[in-house]
Amino acid sequence: MALDRTAPPSPPSAAPAHRAADPAAPPPFLGPAWAEAVRAAVDSGPPPEVRAAKLDKYWTWIERRRADYTATWVLGVRGAPAALGSTRRDITLEWSGGRCARVAVTAPDASTPPGTYVLSAEYAVWRRLLSGEDPGRVLMYRQMRLEHGDVLLFFRGVYFFVESLAALARVPAAVP
Amino acid sequence: MTTTPAAVAESGLDVLGTVDVDDVLDYLHRDLKRLPGYLDLYRRYLRQRWDVFALDFTPDSRDWAERMTADERDAFVAISSGFHHGERQVEVELPLFMLGGDDEAKIYLSSQIEDEARHTVFFDRFYREVVGLPGDSVQDLLDASYNYVSETFIGPFGLLAHLGDTLRRDPDDPVARVRFGTAYFLWIEGVLALSVMKITLGYCRSRGVLPGYSAGFTATCRDEARHVQFGMRFLRDSVRADPRLLLEVHETLRTLLAMNRATSRPVELGALGWSGEEVRRLMIRQLWMKVNDVGIDLPSDIRDSIQRIEPDLAGG
Repeated sequence: MALDRTAPPSPPSAAPAHRAADPAAPPPFLGPAWAEAVRAAVDSGPPPEVRAAKLDKYWTWIERRRADYTATWVLGVRGAPAALGSTRRDITLEWSGGRCARVAVTAPDASTPPGTYVLSAEYAVWRRLLSGEDPGRVLMYRQMRLEHGDVLLFFRGVYFFVESLAALARVPAAVP
Repeated sequence: MTTTPAAVAESGLDVLGTVDVDDVLDYLHRDLKRLPGYLDLYRRYLRQRWDVFALDFTPDSRDWAERMTADERDAFVAISSGFHHGERQVEVELPLFMLGGDDEAKIYLSSQIEDEARHTVFFDRFYREVVGLPGDSVQDLLDASYNYVSETFIGPFGLLAHLGDTLRRDPDDPVARVRFGTAYFLWIEGVLALSVMKITLGYCRSRGVLPGYSAGFTATCRDEARHVQFGMRFLRDSVRADPRLLLEVHETLRTLLAMNRATSRPVELGALGWSGEEVRRLMIRQLWMKVNDVGIDLPSDIRDSIQRIEPDLAGG
Protein backbone atom coordinates (compact mmCIF):
# COMPACT_ATOMS: atom_id res chain seq x y z
CA MET A 1 0.00 0.00 0.00
CA ALA A 2 2.71 2.41 -0.96
CA LEU A 3 1.19 5.81 -1.54
CA ASP A 4 2.36 8.43 -3.97
CA ARG A 5 4.57 10.72 -1.93
CA THR A 6 4.03 13.73 -4.12
CA ALA A 7 2.67 14.39 -7.54
CA PRO A 8 5.74 14.23 -9.76
CA PRO A 9 6.86 17.60 -11.05
CA SER A 10 7.63 18.27 -14.64
CA PRO A 11 11.21 17.22 -15.33
CA PRO A 12 13.55 20.17 -15.52
CA SER A 13 14.10 21.40 -19.01
CA ALA A 14 17.54 21.91 -20.41
CA ALA A 15 17.98 25.65 -20.86
CA PRO A 16 19.19 26.65 -24.32
CA ALA A 17 22.27 28.85 -24.37
CA HIS A 18 20.40 31.64 -26.15
CA ARG A 19 16.73 31.42 -25.35
CA ALA A 20 14.29 32.72 -27.90
CA ALA A 21 11.26 34.42 -26.35
CA ASP A 22 8.91 31.45 -26.02
CA PRO A 23 5.97 32.19 -23.73
CA ALA A 24 5.36 28.47 -23.23
CA ALA A 25 8.92 27.72 -22.12
CA PRO A 26 9.59 27.38 -18.40
CA PRO A 27 11.44 30.31 -16.82
CA PRO A 28 15.14 29.87 -16.10
CA PHE A 29 15.98 28.36 -12.72
CA LEU A 30 16.91 31.13 -10.26
CA GLY A 31 15.63 33.85 -12.60
CA PRO A 32 13.15 36.53 -11.43
CA ALA A 33 10.14 34.94 -13.19
CA TRP A 34 10.94 31.58 -11.60
CA ALA A 35 11.33 33.25 -8.18
CA GLU A 36 7.90 34.87 -8.48
CA ALA A 37 6.38 31.55 -9.59
CA VAL A 38 7.95 29.91 -6.54
CA ARG A 39 6.50 32.56 -4.25
CA ALA A 40 3.03 31.97 -5.68
CA ALA A 41 3.39 28.18 -5.48
CA VAL A 42 4.57 27.97 -1.88
CA ASP A 43 2.12 30.65 -0.79
CA SER A 44 -0.90 28.91 -2.30
CA GLY A 45 -0.13 25.55 -0.69
CA PRO A 46 -0.52 22.09 -2.22
CA PRO A 47 -2.72 21.45 -5.27
CA PRO A 48 -5.62 19.00 -4.75
CA GLU A 49 -3.81 15.97 -6.18
CA VAL A 50 -0.91 16.45 -3.77
CA ARG A 51 -3.23 17.09 -0.85
CA ALA A 52 -5.22 13.94 -1.59
CA ALA A 53 -2.13 11.73 -1.34
CA LYS A 54 -1.76 12.35 2.40
CA LEU A 55 -4.11 12.39 5.37
CA ASP A 56 -5.93 15.61 6.26
CA LYS A 57 -4.30 15.37 9.68
CA TYR A 58 -0.92 15.98 8.06
CA TRP A 59 -2.10 19.11 6.25
CA THR A 60 -3.88 20.34 9.38
CA TRP A 61 -0.57 20.07 11.26
CA ILE A 62 1.12 22.15 8.53
CA GLU A 63 -1.67 24.73 8.47
CA ARG A 64 -1.46 25.18 12.24
CA ARG A 65 2.29 25.57 12.08
CA ARG A 66 2.01 27.97 9.19
CA ALA A 67 -0.82 30.09 10.59
CA ASP A 68 1.40 32.63 12.36
CA TYR A 69 4.71 31.65 10.81
CA THR A 70 7.21 34.47 10.44
CA ALA A 71 10.74 33.57 9.45
CA THR A 72 13.21 33.87 6.60
CA TRP A 73 14.53 30.78 4.87
CA VAL A 74 17.71 31.08 2.84
CA LEU A 75 18.26 28.12 0.54
CA GLY A 76 21.74 27.97 -0.93
CA VAL A 77 22.68 26.41 -4.26
CA ARG A 78 26.32 25.41 -3.94
CA GLY A 79 28.52 24.83 -6.96
CA ALA A 80 26.20 26.42 -9.49
CA PRO A 81 27.33 25.91 -13.09
CA ALA A 82 28.80 28.64 -15.28
CA ALA A 83 25.40 29.52 -16.74
CA LEU A 84 24.28 30.43 -13.20
CA GLY A 85 27.43 32.32 -12.29
CA SER A 86 29.78 29.53 -11.15
CA THR A 87 29.26 30.61 -7.55
CA ARG A 88 26.89 29.93 -4.71
CA ARG A 89 23.45 31.40 -5.25
CA ASP A 90 20.91 31.85 -2.48
CA ILE A 91 17.13 31.76 -2.67
CA THR A 92 15.46 33.78 0.09
CA LEU A 93 11.86 33.05 1.11
CA GLU A 94 10.37 35.56 3.51
CA TRP A 95 7.40 34.32 5.55
CA SER A 96 5.28 36.83 7.41
CA GLY A 97 2.15 35.89 9.32
CA GLY A 98 1.86 32.62 7.41
CA ARG A 99 2.17 34.18 3.95
CA CYS A 100 5.15 33.98 1.65
CA ALA A 101 5.70 37.68 1.11
CA ARG A 102 8.81 37.61 -1.05
CA VAL A 103 11.15 35.29 -2.88
CA ALA A 104 14.45 36.66 -4.12
CA VAL A 105 17.62 35.16 -5.55
CA THR A 106 21.06 36.61 -4.93
CA ALA A 107 23.20 37.70 -7.84
CA PRO A 108 26.39 35.76 -8.60
CA ASP A 109 29.18 36.63 -6.16
CA ALA A 110 26.75 38.23 -3.70
CA SER A 111 27.19 37.20 -0.09
CA THR A 112 24.65 34.89 1.54
CA PRO A 113 21.88 37.02 3.07
CA PRO A 114 20.90 36.59 6.72
CA GLY A 115 18.04 34.24 7.50
CA THR A 116 16.32 32.63 10.44
CA TYR A 117 17.36 29.35 8.87
CA VAL A 118 20.07 29.01 6.25
CA LEU A 119 20.28 25.69 4.43
CA SER A 120 22.20 24.67 1.35
CA ALA A 121 22.71 21.82 -1.07
CA GLU A 122 24.96 21.11 -4.01
CA TYR A 123 23.64 22.02 -7.44
CA ALA A 124 23.42 18.33 -8.36
CA VAL A 125 21.05 17.80 -5.41
CA TRP A 126 18.91 20.74 -6.57
CA ARG A 127 18.68 19.16 -9.99
CA ARG A 128 17.44 15.94 -8.43
CA LEU A 129 14.92 17.84 -6.33
CA LEU A 130 13.62 19.58 -9.45
CA SER A 131 13.33 16.14 -11.07
CA GLY A 132 11.08 14.87 -8.29
CA GLU A 133 13.41 13.49 -5.61
CA ASP A 134 11.75 13.31 -2.20
CA PRO A 135 12.70 16.53 -0.35
CA GLY A 136 12.22 14.91 3.05
CA ARG A 137 14.71 12.19 2.23
CA VAL A 138 17.17 14.79 0.90
CA LEU A 139 16.91 16.59 4.23
CA MET A 140 17.18 13.38 6.28
CA TYR A 141 20.24 12.23 4.33
CA ARG A 142 21.83 15.65 5.03
CA GLN A 143 22.18 16.30 1.32
CA MET A 144 20.70 19.64 2.33
CA ARG A 145 22.46 20.95 5.42
CA LEU A 146 21.25 23.38 8.04
CA GLU A 147 24.04 25.95 8.15
CA HIS A 148 22.44 28.46 10.49
CA GLY A 149 19.47 28.45 12.86
CA ASP A 150 18.31 26.47 15.87
CA VAL A 151 17.86 22.88 14.76
CA LEU A 152 15.12 22.13 17.31
CA LEU A 153 13.03 25.15 16.33
CA PHE A 154 13.54 24.39 12.65
CA PHE A 155 12.25 20.85 13.07
CA ARG A 156 9.11 22.04 14.88
CA GLY A 157 8.01 23.18 11.42
CA VAL A 158 9.77 20.50 9.39
CA TYR A 159 6.76 19.15 7.45
CA PHE A 160 5.80 22.71 6.49
CA PHE A 161 9.35 23.21 5.23
CA VAL A 162 9.42 19.91 3.33
CA GLU A 163 6.09 20.55 1.62
CA SER A 164 7.18 24.08 0.72
CA LEU A 165 10.38 22.69 -0.76
CA ALA A 166 8.28 20.18 -2.70
CA ALA A 167 6.09 23.05 -3.97
CA LEU A 168 9.21 24.97 -5.01
CA ALA A 169 10.51 21.90 -6.85
CA ARG A 170 7.23 21.48 -8.74
CA VAL A 171 7.59 24.91 -10.35
CA PRO A 172 8.73 24.28 -13.91
CA ALA A 173 12.22 25.56 -14.52
CA ALA A 174 14.73 25.56 -17.33
CA VAL A 175 17.85 24.14 -15.74
CA PRO A 176 21.35 24.37 -17.22
CA MET B 1 5.56 -19.45 29.79
CA THR B 2 7.59 -16.65 31.37
CA THR B 3 11.29 -16.51 30.58
CA THR B 4 13.46 -15.30 33.44
CA PRO B 5 15.71 -12.27 32.91
CA ALA B 6 18.75 -14.51 33.30
CA ALA B 7 17.47 -16.78 30.53
CA VAL B 8 16.72 -13.79 28.30
CA ALA B 9 20.26 -12.56 28.87
CA GLU B 10 21.96 -15.84 27.98
CA SER B 11 19.76 -17.40 25.28
CA GLY B 12 20.94 -17.98 21.75
CA LEU B 13 18.98 -17.33 18.55
CA ASP B 14 17.43 -20.82 18.65
CA VAL B 15 15.69 -20.01 21.96
CA LEU B 16 15.10 -16.27 21.54
CA GLY B 17 12.54 -16.85 18.82
CA THR B 18 10.27 -18.49 21.39
CA VAL B 19 10.69 -15.83 24.11
CA ASP B 20 7.74 -13.49 24.71
CA VAL B 21 8.65 -9.88 23.86
CA ASP B 22 7.17 -8.80 27.19
CA ASP B 23 9.85 -10.82 28.96
CA VAL B 24 12.54 -9.02 26.95
CA LEU B 25 10.96 -5.65 27.79
CA ASP B 26 10.90 -6.63 31.48
CA TYR B 27 14.57 -7.59 31.18
CA LEU B 28 15.29 -4.16 29.68
CA HIS B 29 13.47 -2.17 32.34
CA ARG B 30 14.76 -4.23 35.27
CA ASP B 31 18.21 -2.65 34.93
CA LEU B 32 17.04 0.90 34.31
CA LYS B 33 16.99 1.75 38.02
CA ARG B 34 20.60 0.67 38.60
CA LEU B 35 21.96 1.34 35.09
CA PRO B 36 25.06 -0.78 34.36
CA GLY B 37 28.38 0.88 33.59
CA TYR B 38 29.52 1.33 29.99
CA LEU B 39 32.14 -1.45 30.14
CA ASP B 40 29.60 -3.79 31.78
CA LEU B 41 27.36 -3.20 28.79
CA TYR B 42 30.26 -3.81 26.44
CA ARG B 43 30.98 -7.16 28.14
CA ARG B 44 27.33 -8.07 27.83
CA TYR B 45 27.48 -7.22 24.11
CA LEU B 46 30.36 -9.63 23.63
CA ARG B 47 28.28 -12.43 25.16
CA GLN B 48 25.05 -11.56 23.35
CA ARG B 49 26.29 -10.80 19.84
CA TRP B 50 24.46 -12.94 17.31
CA ASP B 51 25.04 -13.92 13.70
CA VAL B 52 22.50 -12.32 11.38
CA PHE B 53 23.47 -14.77 8.64
CA ALA B 54 22.59 -17.75 10.85
CA LEU B 55 18.88 -16.95 10.55
CA ASP B 56 16.82 -19.16 8.26
CA PHE B 57 14.07 -17.17 6.53
CA THR B 58 12.76 -20.13 4.49
CA PRO B 59 9.72 -20.78 6.76
CA ASP B 60 9.05 -17.02 6.89
CA SER B 61 8.91 -16.87 3.12
CA ARG B 62 6.28 -19.65 3.12
CA ASP B 63 4.27 -17.94 5.86
CA TRP B 64 4.39 -14.65 3.95
CA ALA B 65 3.04 -16.22 0.80
CA GLU B 66 0.64 -18.80 2.20
CA ARG B 67 -0.47 -18.02 5.74
CA MET B 68 -0.61 -14.23 6.03
CA THR B 69 -3.46 -12.24 4.54
CA ALA B 70 -2.92 -9.30 2.22
CA ASP B 71 -4.01 -6.92 5.00
CA GLU B 72 -1.56 -8.49 7.42
CA ARG B 73 1.28 -8.24 4.89
CA ASP B 74 0.45 -4.61 4.12
CA ALA B 75 0.35 -3.62 7.78
CA PHE B 76 3.46 -5.59 8.62
CA VAL B 77 5.54 -4.12 5.81
CA ALA B 78 4.30 -0.60 6.53
CA ILE B 79 5.48 -0.88 10.14
CA SER B 80 8.68 -2.78 9.43
CA SER B 81 9.81 -0.30 6.77
CA GLY B 82 10.04 2.37 9.44
CA PHE B 83 12.44 0.05 11.22
CA HIS B 84 14.41 -0.89 8.09
CA HIS B 85 15.17 2.78 7.47
CA GLY B 86 15.43 3.58 11.17
CA GLU B 87 18.21 1.05 11.66
CA ARG B 88 20.09 2.44 8.69
CA GLN B 89 19.74 5.99 9.97
CA VAL B 90 20.98 5.28 13.50
CA GLU B 91 23.81 3.14 12.09
CA VAL B 92 25.13 6.11 10.10
CA GLU B 93 24.46 8.81 12.73
CA LEU B 94 25.79 7.12 15.89
CA PRO B 95 29.46 7.44 14.84
CA LEU B 96 29.05 11.22 15.16
CA PHE B 97 28.05 10.79 18.82
CA MET B 98 31.03 8.46 19.37
CA LEU B 99 33.43 11.26 18.37
CA GLY B 100 32.96 12.74 21.86
CA GLY B 101 32.64 11.42 25.39
CA ASP B 102 35.00 9.36 27.54
CA ASP B 103 36.85 6.27 26.41
CA GLU B 104 34.57 3.82 28.20
CA ALA B 105 31.63 5.31 26.30
CA LYS B 106 33.53 5.14 23.00
CA ILE B 107 34.37 1.45 23.53
CA TYR B 108 30.74 0.67 24.31
CA LEU B 109 29.48 2.73 21.37
CA SER B 110 31.66 0.78 18.96
CA SER B 111 29.52 -2.24 19.88
CA GLN B 112 26.26 -0.37 19.43
CA ILE B 113 27.30 0.79 15.96
CA GLU B 114 28.00 -2.85 15.07
CA ASP B 115 24.58 -3.81 16.50
CA GLU B 116 22.84 -1.19 14.34
CA ALA B 117 24.71 -2.33 11.22
CA ARG B 118 23.67 -5.95 11.96
CA HIS B 119 20.07 -4.87 12.45
CA THR B 120 20.19 -3.10 9.08
CA VAL B 121 21.39 -6.34 7.48
CA PHE B 122 18.61 -8.21 9.29
CA PHE B 123 15.96 -6.04 7.62
CA ASP B 124 17.80 -6.14 4.32
CA ARG B 125 17.61 -9.95 4.41
CA PHE B 126 13.95 -9.92 5.52
CA TYR B 127 12.87 -7.61 2.70
CA ARG B 128 14.98 -9.42 0.14
CA GLU B 129 14.18 -13.05 1.12
CA VAL B 130 10.68 -12.84 2.61
CA VAL B 131 8.92 -9.75 1.23
CA GLY B 132 10.66 -10.15 -2.12
CA LEU B 133 11.66 -6.57 -2.79
CA PRO B 134 14.11 -6.18 -5.68
CA GLY B 135 17.64 -4.82 -5.59
CA ASP B 136 21.29 -5.73 -5.63
CA SER B 137 22.73 -3.40 -3.01
CA VAL B 138 21.72 -2.37 0.51
CA GLN B 139 20.76 1.03 -0.91
CA ASP B 140 18.61 -0.62 -3.60
CA LEU B 141 16.57 -2.36 -0.90
CA LEU B 142 16.29 0.86 1.09
CA ASP B 143 15.06 2.62 -2.03
CA ALA B 144 12.50 -0.13 -2.62
CA SER B 145 11.10 -0.09 0.91
CA TYR B 146 11.09 3.71 1.17
CA ASN B 147 7.76 3.81 -0.63
CA TYR B 148 6.19 2.20 2.43
CA VAL B 149 7.70 4.68 4.88
CA SER B 150 5.47 7.43 6.21
CA GLU B 151 6.34 11.02 5.27
CA THR B 152 6.53 11.85 8.97
CA PHE B 153 9.42 9.39 9.42
CA ILE B 154 11.78 12.21 8.50
CA GLY B 155 10.70 14.18 11.57
CA PRO B 156 12.58 12.29 14.30
CA PHE B 157 15.16 10.76 11.99
CA GLY B 158 15.86 13.99 10.11
CA LEU B 159 16.19 15.74 13.46
CA LEU B 160 18.68 13.08 14.54
CA ALA B 161 20.70 13.60 11.35
CA HIS B 162 20.93 17.34 11.83
CA LEU B 163 21.68 17.03 15.55
CA GLY B 164 24.46 14.71 14.40
CA ASP B 165 25.70 17.43 12.08
CA THR B 166 26.00 19.73 15.10
CA LEU B 167 28.07 17.05 16.84
CA ARG B 168 30.30 16.74 13.79
CA ARG B 169 31.27 20.39 14.27
CA ASP B 170 31.81 20.06 18.05
CA PRO B 171 31.66 16.44 19.31
CA ASP B 172 32.10 17.40 22.98
CA ASP B 173 29.45 20.12 23.13
CA PRO B 174 27.33 18.92 26.09
CA VAL B 175 24.17 20.62 24.79
CA ALA B 176 24.50 18.94 21.40
CA ARG B 177 25.22 15.58 23.04
CA VAL B 178 22.19 15.73 25.33
CA ARG B 179 19.92 16.79 22.48
CA PHE B 180 21.19 13.92 20.31
CA GLY B 181 20.95 11.48 23.24
CA THR B 182 17.37 12.48 23.98
CA ALA B 183 16.27 12.07 20.36
CA TYR B 184 18.09 8.78 19.86
CA PHE B 185 18.15 6.84 23.13
CA LEU B 186 15.02 8.14 24.81
CA TRP B 187 12.61 8.71 21.90
CA ILE B 188 13.73 6.64 18.89
CA GLU B 189 14.96 3.63 20.84
CA GLY B 190 13.16 3.94 24.16
CA VAL B 191 9.70 4.75 22.80
CA LEU B 192 9.36 4.17 19.05
CA ALA B 193 11.51 1.05 18.66
CA LEU B 194 10.23 -0.82 21.68
CA SER B 195 6.62 -0.11 20.71
CA VAL B 196 7.09 -1.48 17.19
CA MET B 197 8.88 -4.52 18.60
CA LYS B 198 5.98 -5.32 20.88
CA ILE B 199 3.45 -4.90 18.06
CA THR B 200 5.18 -7.00 15.40
CA LEU B 201 6.61 -9.68 17.70
CA GLY B 202 3.28 -9.98 19.53
CA TYR B 203 1.56 -10.49 16.17
CA CYS B 204 4.07 -13.16 15.08
CA ARG B 205 3.66 -15.02 18.37
CA SER B 206 -0.14 -14.93 18.38
CA ARG B 207 -0.37 -16.07 14.74
CA GLY B 208 2.52 -18.50 14.90
CA VAL B 209 4.22 -17.04 11.81
CA LEU B 210 7.62 -15.69 10.74
CA PRO B 211 9.94 -17.67 13.03
CA GLY B 212 13.13 -16.27 11.50
CA TYR B 213 11.89 -12.73 11.91
CA SER B 214 10.82 -13.49 15.50
CA ALA B 215 14.25 -14.88 16.43
CA GLY B 216 16.18 -12.02 14.84
CA PHE B 217 13.90 -9.25 16.03
CA THR B 218 13.74 -10.61 19.59
CA ALA B 219 17.55 -10.66 19.56
CA THR B 220 17.39 -7.09 18.24
CA CYS B 221 15.07 -6.18 21.12
CA ARG B 222 17.59 -7.64 23.59
CA ASP B 223 20.30 -5.51 21.94
CA GLU B 224 18.04 -2.49 22.42
CA ALA B 225 18.09 -3.18 26.15
CA ARG B 226 21.81 -2.36 26.18
CA HIS B 227 21.27 0.67 23.98
CA VAL B 228 18.50 2.13 26.11
CA GLN B 229 20.39 1.42 29.34
CA PHE B 230 23.49 3.16 27.93
CA GLY B 231 21.41 6.11 26.79
CA MET B 232 19.52 6.52 30.03
CA ARG B 233 22.78 6.38 31.98
CA PHE B 234 24.26 8.98 29.66
CA LEU B 235 21.29 11.31 30.13
CA ARG B 236 21.13 10.77 33.89
CA ASP B 237 24.87 11.41 34.34
CA SER B 238 24.81 14.43 32.02
CA VAL B 239 22.00 16.09 33.97
CA ARG B 240 23.63 15.25 37.30
CA ALA B 241 26.87 16.84 36.10
CA ASP B 242 25.12 19.97 34.88
CA PRO B 243 21.45 20.34 35.89
CA ARG B 244 20.95 23.03 33.23
CA LEU B 245 21.11 20.25 30.64
CA LEU B 246 17.71 19.06 31.81
CA LEU B 247 16.33 22.03 29.86
CA GLU B 248 17.87 20.57 26.70
CA VAL B 249 16.13 17.24 27.37
CA HIS B 250 12.90 19.22 27.68
CA GLU B 251 13.42 21.30 24.52
CA THR B 252 14.26 18.19 22.50
CA LEU B 253 11.19 16.38 23.81
CA ARG B 254 9.03 19.42 22.99
CA THR B 255 10.28 19.23 19.40
CA LEU B 256 9.74 15.47 19.11
CA LEU B 257 6.27 15.68 20.61
CA ALA B 258 5.36 18.61 18.34
CA MET B 259 6.36 16.60 15.27
CA ASN B 260 4.55 13.51 16.58
CA ARG B 261 1.13 15.13 16.05
CA ALA B 262 1.45 14.91 12.26
CA THR B 263 0.26 11.68 10.63
CA SER B 264 0.46 11.43 6.85
CA ARG B 265 -0.91 7.98 6.02
CA PRO B 266 -3.03 5.31 7.66
CA VAL B 267 -1.66 2.01 8.92
CA GLU B 268 -4.19 -0.78 9.37
CA LEU B 269 -3.04 -1.82 12.81
CA GLY B 270 -6.16 -3.91 13.27
CA ALA B 271 -4.68 -6.53 10.92
CA LEU B 272 -1.92 -7.06 13.49
CA GLY B 273 -4.31 -7.14 16.43
CA TRP B 274 -3.81 -3.59 17.66
CA SER B 275 -5.86 -0.40 17.74
CA GLY B 276 -4.43 3.09 17.40
CA GLU B 277 -5.46 3.82 20.98
CA GLU B 278 -3.58 0.75 22.25
CA VAL B 279 -0.43 1.83 20.41
CA ARG B 280 -0.82 5.35 21.79
CA ARG B 281 -1.05 4.04 25.35
CA LEU B 282 1.90 1.73 24.74
CA MET B 283 4.08 4.64 23.59
CA ILE B 284 3.04 6.78 26.55
CA ARG B 285 3.86 3.95 28.94
CA GLN B 286 7.25 3.34 27.33
CA LEU B 287 8.17 7.01 27.66
CA TRP B 288 7.08 7.31 31.29
CA MET B 289 8.96 4.14 32.27
CA LYS B 290 12.20 5.66 30.99
CA VAL B 291 11.87 9.14 32.44
CA ASN B 292 10.61 7.88 35.81
CA ASP B 293 13.29 5.22 36.19
CA VAL B 294 16.17 7.61 35.55
CA GLY B 295 14.58 10.52 37.41
CA ILE B 296 14.00 12.99 34.56
CA ASP B 297 11.49 15.57 35.77
CA LEU B 298 9.13 16.94 33.15
CA PRO B 299 7.24 20.24 33.25
CA SER B 300 3.47 20.34 32.90
CA ASP B 301 3.37 21.33 29.20
CA ILE B 302 5.41 18.26 28.25
CA ARG B 303 3.29 16.04 30.51
CA ASP B 304 0.22 17.34 28.71
CA SER B 305 1.83 16.72 25.30
CA ILE B 306 2.69 13.15 26.27
CA GLN B 307 -0.97 12.48 26.98
CA ARG B 308 -1.73 13.53 23.39
CA ILE B 309 0.89 11.31 21.72
CA GLU B 310 -0.16 9.89 18.35
CA PRO B 311 0.81 6.41 17.12
CA ASP B 312 4.16 6.70 15.35
CA LEU B 313 5.51 3.49 13.88
CA ALA B 314 9.22 3.54 13.29
CA GLY B 315 12.32 2.67 15.23
CA GLY B 316 16.03 2.13 15.10
